[in-house]
Amino acid sequence: MYFAGVDIGSTMTKVVLMDKSDNLLSAIKGPTGPEHRQLANEVMRQALEQANLQIDVISYIVATGYGRLNVPFADRQITELSCHARGVSSLFPNVRTAIDIGGQDAKCMKIDNGRLTSFVMNDKCAAGTGRFLEVTAATLGIGLEDMGDISLKATKRIQISNLCTIFAQQEVVALLSRGEKLENILAGLHDALANRIAALARRLGIEPDLVLTGGVAKNTGMVKAMKESLGCELFVPEEPLLTGALGAGILAKETYLKAVAEGEALPTKSRRLEKATFFSEGQR
Amino acid sequence: MVVEKKKKTINRLKSMYPLRAKVNETYLKSIEAIQAGKPAVWGMLNFYYGDPILKAMDIEVVYPENYGAIAAATGVAQQYLDRADAEGFPTHLCGYSLTTLGYASRMMKELNGQIPPEAPFGGMPKPLFLMASAAICDARYKWFQALGRYMDVPVWPLEAPIPGIKEFSIEGYYDKMVKLGIKHLRDFVTFVEGMVGKKMDWDRLDKTANLMIEVNRVWHEVNELRKARPCPMHSRDFWSAMPAALFLAGDLEDSLRLYQDMYKEVKDRINSHVGTIPEEKYRLVFAELPPWHSLAFFDKLAERGWNFVIESVGYHPPIPIDLSEVSDPLERITKFSLQFLVGYYEDARKQNVLGGTTAYPYLKYAKEWKCDGALLHPLISCRSASTHLPYVSDMLMEKLKVPSLSIEGDIVDLRLFNPEDALAKAEPFEETMEYYRKMRKQEGFDW
Repeated sequence: MYFAGVDIGSTMTKVVLMDKSDNLLSAIKGPTGPEHRQLANEVMRQALEQANLQIDVISYIVATGYGRLNVPFADRQITELSCHARGVSSLFPNVRTAIDIGGQDAKCMKIDNGRLTSFVMNDKCAAGTGRFLEVTAATLGIGLEDMGDISLKATKRIQISNLCTIFAQQEVVALLSRGEKLENILAGLHDALANRIAALARRLGIEPDLVLTGGVAKNTGMVKAMKESLGCELFVPEEPLLTGALGAGILAKETYLKAVAEGEALPTKSRRLEKATFFSEGQR
Repeated sequence: MVVEKKKKTINRLKSMYPLRAKVNETYLKSIEAIQAGKPAVWGMLNFYYGDPILKAMDIEVVYPENYGAIAAATGVAQQYLDRADAEGFPTHLCGYSLTTLGYASRMMKELNGQIPPEAPFGGMPKPLFLMASAAICDARYKWFQALGRYMDVPVWPLEAPIPGIKEFSIEGYYDKMVKLGIKHLRDFVTFVEGMVGKKMDWDRLDKTANLMIEVNRVWHEVNELRKARPCPMHSRDFWSAMPAALFLAGDLEDSLRLYQDMYKEVKDRINSHVGTIPEEKYRLVFAELPPWHSLAFFDKLAERGWNFVIESVGYHPPIPIDLSEVSDPLERITKFSLQFLVGYYEDARKQNVLGGTTAYPYLKYAKEWKCDGALLHPLISCRSASTHLPYVSDMLMEKLKVPSLSIEGDIVDLRLFNPEDALAKAEPFEETMEYYRKMRKQEGFDW
């Protein structure tokens, strides 16, 4: 008995396959790109290949994330907040607060026994998201993945006064032209982002254990800045990008097993791995 | 091919439509008044303070604040916002004020005082004077001062001091407020008499004040009926019907009859167990001002079973108060207007909720209307409708275990509100509401 979770985020698409004992059989990530309707099948194909499974043996599939409605082979769609809450709890059973910083938004969640109890999101402005770092990395001509490590070498932390991503970009250019060191500027950028997200989390009320997920959690400089800004211990999963897909997979398993236990027939979608098109909905 | 018209999810009250039409009627009457050489005034929402005086003197009033909402709802606000921007007003000012400043600029600078042809509801004609008010909103003086510069007409600021809840319990405070109010209204009457060149008919004012109080009493009773399960009347009907009572739109005797009709229709729905949406899964309170440009957003939420059963305290009538023994109409008007501002204070003080006029009522609403959640709509361009919302959210959770969902937006500027994004939050918020429904049960609440 196998289950799948598919998380189509704004930047990355993630798929996990698991068995009924929650053993992870495969986990695949790929860039979402502008045509995520055409990508879910491809990432799923890779995941199946890694697990050496065929699509028709997957008992139940849950899709989550912004593109969750565009996964034609998913049996059910569940919001990313619920899936993140479930996924994070499976890794950190004592989690009460989770912060997920993705490419397009930042979510702060309160969790009780794997259930989402409340949330706040920063979604009006790129300044509180991974996009803030992406834009500045491009401006500085460095890799996004290198930003955190470089920032850890800072000897002082430059204060970035602009919260707007575009104005912050201009400010960074001005600082560079003044001769400020790259690592000090990066440390300041991480502080600016961390302070903004910490304020959002405080609005919700922080309770330990606190877990940081999302692509930005892979950034060591950001983890340090978040710890300092929040003033508390922060746990980071080994693979922070996968918690949404993991939660989707667990919810797929729970949904399926509950239906079986109650003798309920659970409708499932066709297991054909095809690109979703705008015309495919009516055919399913 | 016959295209089947999609049935709207919210079952609107039939009695709402004639009340909504009264607003349209008010704008047309103001234009007719100007054409007939009679006075018309632009007024700020003043919570029953100056309006009965103007009404008793046969002066038609239109409300730039209300007109801002109309311009947003009819899709013409953006050009006025752009014009205000071009005039140099900062874009983060109140959306209502920017809309009407853009309107005033177009009317006075471009059209030589003529009403812009694209203006909805016939537009607002050039006023005899402007009646500003300080009630609730701190931007109102400056907004009307700026309008006055375009119009080159006098601006009368109606004072409406709002005490804090603790301060209000100081002995003699209320009496002093009443005295101040009466004196100020007397001065206002003198000003208006000078402007229109005729004396106040005090008997008529007496009758107008009584009608105003009665209209609002019936309107209050209509909203009390909404405590029923399923709720028979949606917030959309409230927002459509409220201007007739809040702005004293049109003939008050007619309004009284229409609100009585609405009471009967709502009561009938309760007796027949008819709700305003097909399946009431969640009962919600809405705070504060709605996104007028995107009201269809509430239909989408209704499809999910979200019923908005109470809302927008600033638009609700005061808790009824017996003023039948007060012989001076100015004193009666003052006390009625004060009742809007301080009517909840005694209850709020007892429960140590110190959020002023607009925070405590939401606690009462959520408790008595048995709400599962609150949808908060902080406005990027409005302090008065936003600054109390975090406190409201905290109080609802702390005292009632009712969760809040906060969605930023604007009353006029649709660029600042993203309905799709807001709808994406609805599903996880349902999980939150379910969670706290169980918590309330565990803690002994009865809903």
